[in-house]
Amino acid sequence: MVLDREHLLGELYGIYNVPTVIWIDEDNRIARPPVIAPGDDMFRDFTNIDSSVHHDQLRAWVRSGSLPAPTGREQIMLPTDDEQLARLERRVGAYLAREGHAERAEVHFARAVEYAPMDWTIRRGTLPLRGDDPFGEKFFAFMGEWTEAGQPGYGSADPNAPS
Amino acid sequence: MTAITYLDAEHGPRPAEGRTDGARVLLAADGLAELTGWTLKPEGLCQGDVCVPVRDGQLVVDGEVDAERFAAALGRPAVVDTETGVIAIGERSSERQGPIAAGIAPDFTLPQIDGGTFTFSSLGQRKKLLLAWSSW
Repeated sequence: MVLDREHLLGELYGIYNVPTVIWIDEDNRIARPPVIAPGDDMFRDFTNIDSSVHHDQLRAWVRSGSLPAPTGREQIMLPTDDEQLARLERRVGAYLAREGHAERAEVHFARAVEYAPMDWTIRRGTLPLRGDDPFGEKFFAFMGEWTEAGQPGYGSADPNAPS
Repeated sequence: MTAITYLDAEHGPRPAEGRTDGARVLLAADGLAELTGWTLKPEGLCQGDVCVPVRDGQLVVDGEVDAERFAAALGRPAVVDTETGVIAIGERSSERQGPIAAGIAPDFTLPQIDGGTFTFSSLGQRKKLLLAWSSW
């Protein structure tokens, strides 16, 4: 288990939400681009994602190399200029928040959201650093925005789940 | 010179010699190579065999490098907070897009939760599952 405080993997692999999985084959090629895949069903009532679907898909790929049928929600997310700026603003904001500069941190978090308003790792991921509850009112407000925008980004490993 | 904090994705926060001057963050030119991997030479900003010509006459003044102009000379995004002396310089979106678009898994090294570092390529030629999650 590694710690990715600066969100390097999000930048390298185009990760916009968690939990996200990426399958990588023996030749170091991305066999399956990012998809949402909870490890268990703790939040199934909320997500409607059946975790066993991904587990079964993964076992099949490991044993036989077979890839699952497309869900229709696959999307390779290539970082844009605005998203790179959003990540820098988030990085500065997170550092300043950790160092006790809450007011300056907020300036940078707000800019990060302006640059990447639908990135969950920024919208939801910064809530605790901004003194907000990641399961609270602001999270559900963001959920509403994201849903209204057509749930942009990649979907889940479960083709029967709405997101 | 006062303390400046330099942030990048690979190393996290690092102290740097420099100062703020109005809306600018100025870095000590003699510390630039250690901090960024780029060296100032007569032919431009150089890293290994690669040199980027610099036409910005205001990049270096009196032994100080304007951090935002440095990033601009390399075509990279930068964010500064002059009130606290923090600068973050990132990678161009095109540099990050290349491997993803080509379907190649980029290598990385990150700290492990129980100490030491982990390099992804150390797993060698086997199937790998990369899982990103948050503890909230």
